[in-house]
Amino acid sequence: MTNRRTSTFKKARTHLQLWQVVLIALFIFYMLLPIFSTYIFSIATRWDRTILPEGITSEFYQEATKASYFSSSLRNSLILSLSTILVSLVIIIPTVYWVNVRLPQAKSILDILMILPFGIPTVVLALALVQVYNGTPLGRTPQLLIGAVFIYSMPFMYRPVSNAMRSIDALTLTEAGQSLGASTLQVMIQVIIPNIFSGIISGSLLVFATVFAEFTLTKLILGARFKTFPLLLVEYTRINGNIAAAFSVISFTIAWLISLLILWIGKKGQGSSTQAPTAH
Amino acid sequence: MGFVPFLAVCLTFEFVPIFFLIRGSFLDKATQSYTLAHYQALARTVYVNSFINSIKISSLTAIIGVVLGTLIGYAIFRLPKEGFKNALISLSDVTTNFAGAPLAFAFIIILGINGVITQFLLKYFNYELYPAFSIYSFSGLVLAYTYFQLPLMVLTIIPAFVGIKKEWQESAESLGANKIQFWWHIGIPVLTPSLLAGLTLLFANAYGAYATAYTLVESQLSLVTLQIGFMIAGEVRHDPGVGMAMSVLSLIIMGLSIVVYQIATTRVRRWAK
Repeated sequence: MTNRRTSTFKKARTHLQLWQVVLIALFIFYMLLPIFSTYIFSIATRWDRTILPEGITSEFYQEATKASYFSSSLRNSLILSLSTILVSLVIIIPTVYWVNVRLPQAKSILDILMILPFGIPTVVLALALVQVYNGTPLGRTPQLLIGAVFIYSMPFMYRPVSNAMRSIDALTLTEAGQSLGASTLQVMIQVIIPNIFSGIISGSLLVFATVFAEFTLTKLILGARFKTFPLLLVEYTRINGNIAAAFSVISFTIAWLISLLILWIGKKGQGSSTQAPTAH
Repeated sequence: MGFVPFLAVCLTFEFVPIFFLIRGSFLDKATQSYTLAHYQALARTVYVNSFINSIKISSLTAIIGVVLGTLIGYAIFRLPKEGFKNALISLSDVTTNFAGAPLAFAFIIILGINGVITQFLLKYFNYELYPAFSIYSFSGLVLAYTYFQLPLMVLTIIPAFVGIKKEWQESAESLGANKIQFWWHIGIPVLTPSLLAGLTLLFANAYGAYATAYTLVESQLSLVTLQIGFMIAGEVRHDPGVGMAMSVLSLIIMGLSIVVYQIATTRVRRWAK
């Protein structure tokens, strides 16, 4: 009798239970082991005969930065990510604004259009684009790739921008601006954009992170014609493992800096973490 | 009016190409007449196997992800410290996006022939992982996919646990229900839409995956996405018509998942009210 009473008392105080500790510890282990291993592999002299690396070196990073496509692939990845962000901003922001102010009925259609890309496997999108545009001036050009990557990444821009737009009263702001003599364009640039700025930044960073790591569309649409950083990485997994590890570390260090930025901005504005399937 | 540029881009890079893809899957290229030949060609062993493998790996890693992800999500949800809880949610957020080539390569480092764990098992337990297991095979791919499936499920399920109100548990207990009865009659029915949403989300997530599989198994294991990739790159001399037929079937499979997902999330929202 006394025993039972103490046990219910304990439960009410939400103690950390053993199963909880074990499960969470295993989860953390599984999530961190591949990441730590890559970091260590990139600085290990030799790590295939012993549990701990035999020595530590920075030579793989030096070799990585000297690799023939290192700077051009980084540059290509940056060009691709930044132009996609630009296209995304120019197209998504006015559309979201328009739908909120003029056409609230179309909101659900827009929501569905933004879910569709998740239903198209990237290889299928690549095949469709290559089949239609091969032989036309658009065939196998960086412009085609930017279009493809825009489609694939637009939900990441849409969600934060749309959430931010919903949190402000865009209609009242627009009417107020117009009654003071501002044009729609002026209202959008001077009133709406500053008010949804945290959403725009979150969206841009999400698009950047997604596009910077993009492999499938780039490889299948342009291939060797436009080598981006992820393509170089895959190439090196078959040439030199240590250098590939150094590339991996560089690539996820960039991705995490951006995740941290998103978290930091998300805390300042509204939360907008990704809960959507991404292409792996 | 404001819709026009957006629709134009969607048409150019999404709808028109997909329309021609569907049309092309029914078209004989030489005679320009409609045919089912491309779909009939899918009956060949290599294509049937790629569908079986893709569906097998997607279902398996979705089930593993939902079961373990729900348990881990609950463990995280019940943590008394808010800070630690948020740190684990952030960890899931980051790791579910850690995929593709870097992920595949990380698994080669730990579980390849000379991998860290392979070495560890050999040295301390005198256990030879190879050739019974290989990271470049189906089982290896399951481990790699589970890596991004688990955190995705954790992120999907935690909000659902928030929806199970403490008062429900208290009133069930005061009416004499034990823990199992509470979960069986109240907890699980409330969670069901979220579990279903998670299952379809994870299934679609794995089915469409390409980069991880390309880096890890390339041609050792036949998957639908890998086959379609080969047809685009022209690495194997296949009829592109067959690739289009495979793509259309994949679109149907993905479409069904998305529909179930949408219905399930609408149900979730209803509970949240």
